[in-house]
Amino acid sequence: MGNSFAMLMDGFQTAFTPTNLMFGLLGTFLGTLVGVLPGIGPALAIGLLLPVCLTVNPTSALIMFAAIFYGAMYGGSTTSILLNTPGESGSVITALEGNKMAKAGRAGAALATAAIGSFVAGTIATLLLAFGAPWMADVALTIQPAGYLSLIILAFATVGTLLGSSRIRGLVALSVGLVIGLIGADLQSGALRLTFGNMNAIDGIETVTVIVAIFALGEALYLASRHTLVRTEVLEMKGKAWMTPEDFRRSWKPWLRGTAIGFPLGVIPAGGSEVPTFLSYGVEKSLSKNKDEFGKGAIEGVAGPEAANNANAAGVLVPMLALGLPTSATAAVVLVAFQSFNIQPGPMLFQTNPEIVWGLIASLFIGNALLLVLNLPLIRFWVLLLKIPTHYLYAGITTFALLGAYALNNSTFDLQVALAVGLIGYLFRRFGVPVTPLIIGVILGPLAELQFKRALQISQGDWNILIAGGFPKIIYGILLLVIIGPLVWNFKKKFAVKK
Amino acid sequence: MDVPQGSSIVSPQTFPYMVATFTSLVGIGLIMQVLRGRLGTPEGNQPGDPFLGANFKTMAIIATAIALHVILLEIAGYVIAATVCFFGVSYGFGSRRYLKDLGISLAFALIVYFSFTKGLNINLPSGFFEGVFENG
Repeated sequence: MGNSFAMLMDGFQTAFTPTNLMFGLLGTFLGTLVGVLPGIGPALAIGLLLPVCLTVNPTSALIMFAAIFYGAMYGGSTTSILLNTPGESGSVITALEGNKMAKAGRAGAALATAAIGSFVAGTIATLLLAFGAPWMADVALTIQPAGYLSLIILAFATVGTLLGSSRIRGLVALSVGLVIGLIGADLQSGALRLTFGNMNAIDGIETVTVIVAIFALGEALYLASRHTLVRTEVLEMKGKAWMTPEDFRRSWKPWLRGTAIGFPLGVIPAGGSEVPTFLSYGVEKSLSKNKDEFGKGAIEGVAGPEAANNANAAGVLVPMLALGLPTSATAAVVLVAFQSFNIQPGPMLFQTNPEIVWGLIASLFIGNALLLVLNLPLIRFWVLLLKIPTHYLYAGITTFALLGAYALNNSTFDLQVALAVGLIGYLFRRFGVPVTPLIIGVILGPLAELQFKRALQISQGDWNILIAGGFPKIIYGILLLVIIGPLVWNFKKKFAVKK
Repeated sequence: MDVPQGSSIVSPQTFPYMVATFTSLVGIGLIMQVLRGRLGTPEGNQPGDPFLGANFKTMAIIATAIALHVILLEIAGYVIAATVCFFGVSYGFGSRRYLKDLGISLAFALIVYFSFTKGLNINLPSGFFEGVFENG
């Protein structure tokens, strides 16, 4: 605890150098930008910037990426409130009450409670991250390959089954990701797998290409295929983005409750930011004294989910940094960013690269404060961005995505892959298959194989090692609960209806 | 598949077989769901919303614009490839102010090209511009 505090102070020294501060500011700006713009999210933005940043020093680049991660959460709420088309999946709930508030002329209060709530939640959650992640890393140091494999399988199960409307479709997405992850030369034996004689495929498929293509190209193809391109109107914002004392009185408890819901659900992989925001909304609705206002613009319904959203983002960083296990698309691309600087997140990270990881955590505090300053007074600037015509927006995103895919290796093979993955992304959207499990599969599949092989090498080929010891048994027990729990629940519901 | 001879305990085929088994199982699960009428809800729709059908024409325009970018990039250079792609996508999204669109496409491509090659020192195929701006 004391040690973490001292390390954090060192981190602030790293983060407060002019270069890093500048990259942090740039990141918060870009993050808010991509959060505000529909069709481009933090995962895509970081993926696009990765080739550009390989020449920058790792600490600065990672500080910028983390700032984008946080910034997008702030920007997303602006779009939800003023446009009613959520910029990010975690802002879907915000649109429910926030857009109603804006229609009633209370856009300023909605934006303020979202921004201040995000700040409060982000700061508390980052504090929990700073002290929780090193602790988790210490515990994780004792985990054997078999235990690590069990954790990856648990992450597969939760990300695959909890996202989206259909469990089987989540698992389909995961399996497609696993297959993509297999392409290329096997790391240990050098055997070529699924390359079909194509020399370009020997090094495998670039994860960044997959992420960029599935988000940017898949989204553009899907939107173009829908018959009506709905032009939603941007609501005017009257007055300042600020809250009355009454608004404060009604907001502060939802902020804290949202934090309490969002952070733990990010740490245990519960599948993205949808679940915690839904939960927070439900809690606020049932606890509110103004229940009749819900659905017509209740400020609690904005304050709680927005806080949950930001706390969740910080929570997701805990297993990402301490275990090397990403559980959201954005965390996955941050992990790829670490790897492209030859840094492997995981239990050793806090020992091998303390200046980077603590600089990163400290910069999250700074970024959070910057975002509050950047968002409230500059809100009118961000609103202008919402007036960019859709066709230019998507033309720009598509062209930029192709640039990102190409610039990584200067290879047109990557572009061909991007087009193919873009078409897969289209089909996924058309048939209600979530895309995040695919990305998790691409990234964690090879890691799962590595741990699997290590475990069997330790045991000289005895498969019993996979469930030997207490740790894997506990994890597989949780896994059974995750799989069977919802089935029992559904069965009970059906049974009750029949009666 | 050629499997190199070696003393490794786990064959490079083992894990792929596990993935293949998993993929087959969820594939069967998906087929069963679809046969039972659960066709999946398109993103952005609520369950039960009527599906309006896909507009393959606009989609084909976008896909063609992307494909043209891939083909043109190393033949004609970045600026032309990106202009074509930007213009094609904005056309696919319904914009019909050709001159304005073309101007914005070209401006976008030029800004990106020069900020990447000159500003960030990231090489992009110059193609058509080979030598024109190189010594500038």
